[in-house]
Amino acid sequence: MTAINVKPQRRNKNRPIWDEEPSLAGKAVKFMFMVCYAAAIVLPIWAVLATSFASEDALNRAGGSLLILPTEVSAQAYREIFSGGALTDSLVLTLTLTFVGTAISLVLTICGAYALSRTGSLLHRPILWLILLTFLFGPGMYPSFLVVQQLGLFNSYWSLILPGAVGTFNIIILRAFFMNSIPGELLDAARIDGAGEFRILLTIVLPMSKAILAVIALFYAVGYWNMYFQAVLYTPGLETQPIQVVLQRMLMSTQGLPEGAQATAQYQARGESAPTAALKMAVVVCTIIPIVLMYPFIQKHFTKAVITGAVKG
Amino acid sequence: MATLQSTAPPEADEAPRPPVVRRKRTVAQRFRHDWPLLLLALPVVAHLMIFHYWPSLWNIIAFMDYSPYRPFWENPFVGFAWFERLFNDPYFTPALLNTLKFAALNLLCMFPLSVVLALAMNSIISLKVRSTFQSVVYLPHFFSWVLVVTVFVQVLGADGLVSNWIMDGGGERLNFTSNPDTFLFLVWLQWAWKDAGWGMIIFLAALASINPSLYEAAASDGAGRWRRMWHITLPGIRPVIILLLILQIGGILSVGFEQYQLQRQAVGYQATEVLDTYVYYQSIVGNQGESFGTAAGLFKGVIGLILILVANKIAHRLGEQGIYQKS
Repeated sequence: MTAINVKPQRRNKNRPIWDEEPSLAGKAVKFMFMVCYAAAIVLPIWAVLATSFASEDALNRAGGSLLILPTEVSAQAYREIFSGGALTDSLVLTLTLTFVGTAISLVLTICGAYALSRTGSLLHRPILWLILLTFLFGPGMYPSFLVVQQLGLFNSYWSLILPGAVGTFNIIILRAFFMNSIPGELLDAARIDGAGEFRILLTIVLPMSKAILAVIALFYAVGYWNMYFQAVLYTPGLETQPIQVVLQRMLMSTQGLPEGAQATAQYQARGESAPTAALKMAVVVCTIIPIVLMYPFIQKHFTKAVITGAVKG
Repeated sequence: MATLQSTAPPEADEAPRPPVVRRKRTVAQRFRHDWPLLLLALPVVAHLMIFHYWPSLWNIIAFMDYSPYRPFWENPFVGFAWFERLFNDPYFTPALLNTLKFAALNLLCMFPLSVVLALAMNSIISLKVRSTFQSVVYLPHFFSWVLVVTVFVQVLGADGLVSNWIMDGGGERLNFTSNPDTFLFLVWLQWAWKDAGWGMIIFLAALASINPSLYEAAASDGAGRWRRMWHITLPGIRPVIILLLILQIGGILSVGFEQYQLQRQAVGYQATEVLDTYVYYQSIVGNQGESFGTAAGLFKGVIGLILILVANKIAHRLGEQGIYQKS
């Protein structure tokens, strides 16, 4: 039997049979595009990490910006951050805000989503409208500021949590999940067996929604961890600021800007030197680390969460 | 009653349903049945009332000569005087124009980038490559603007990495992160770095929902790669594109605050002032007064509301779903 080679090209076995193999040039262009795009994201992050471990000498020789390869490894910057000074306070504060805030937000979101997941219950439509209308119109910066002042929350850490504690979009996402992905028969069976709504929520609904709850918790936690605007707006007078505000001040102080000169003066008044590039990058690394640590566990559920939100409830 | 209805067997959906006889229940009966749900909804409702609707009502001070130092009822109504002052403010029009400029940039350059990324991604067959690439490009979405701006200054700033390379090669110092003339491009670059990857997530999901047999049929009819993309892929993701377009148009005046505020010192306010920073610097930092800031914010809110309603109307006219429907 003579073998006739009808397939001169190597085919990916996962490629559907009707799909023609792309040309080499097409493949190369696509490959280059994606590699460049990924490199544009990864390389700066790598340089930040490398710089944060660089010694001062190595940095000065490199012109004080970023290093691609750390020649002399030094953990001096990290020792400075965790030595118990203002930076440690700020990190502890931001972690606390993140934990407390995420817990409050998650509880509110779960309650709201479950309460709205049964159509036809008393006041169901008015409450749903109350939530949906927030998508169309926001109160505006000044009125919100005014109300925070009236409530006595100005320059209080609660003002960083309470005003934004409920993400109405997250409620709609979670509600859609409760309605579409948890079989109603199951809940009805539980009701017939005499379980109350609270018990159903705690023992049936929540255990079945772990993945989406993880994603929503991540969204909230990232929001609190990255908080900058609220701190600028609501707590400008507090001594210990969230880490993003601290990072912003460090950035200004090394850009040679008027606001930076002020910040530098503040550092000198406290008997500290202006932050080196290594210290600044170490703070950047500290703000990235919690995100990167949580990321792999939750990433696979992203698409599901985003899509559930797009499905109309 | 309600619980029994929803346990109806699935085949009931297919047969024409007999009209459901619903016993009218009194509010008291329904309350007795539904009070746990109301109790659960209460914290959220209270929160929205305090932090959304109560401040929304305070927008009324945009029509008053408001001062926090006298009782509310003694503040005189002044009609649209603050809006007149707003429109005559020499800093307002540039802020509005900048906002529109950034919004247009977002619409024209960010959106297509995400679609292109999603299409490129969708054509990768290896699942391993796909998920690695996805993990990488989603990550910057979770970085704060402070972090993004810091990294950009370190890489592209005057003392940054690229600038040092250029100077080592005998070139001139780079002036990219503090140059008002190129700020638009800088903003686009930062957006692309932070959010273009995340933007593709929804397109990817839409692409995954296209029936593969459509491609197979088209291919056996002789349609090539590009024709299949034009006639199957793009129509398949059209509803999602329209939906996002509406959301974008509704948010045209809300291009964000932090990105501009953070770079205001370096680039200068002329290039970076958008409506949100304008409200902040005029009414909270500056001394234009409470009513003025509220009027500026209210202007933004009302225009945003009108835009989203109009965009949704247009989507309905085009036969698309839009974000809400008349029920």
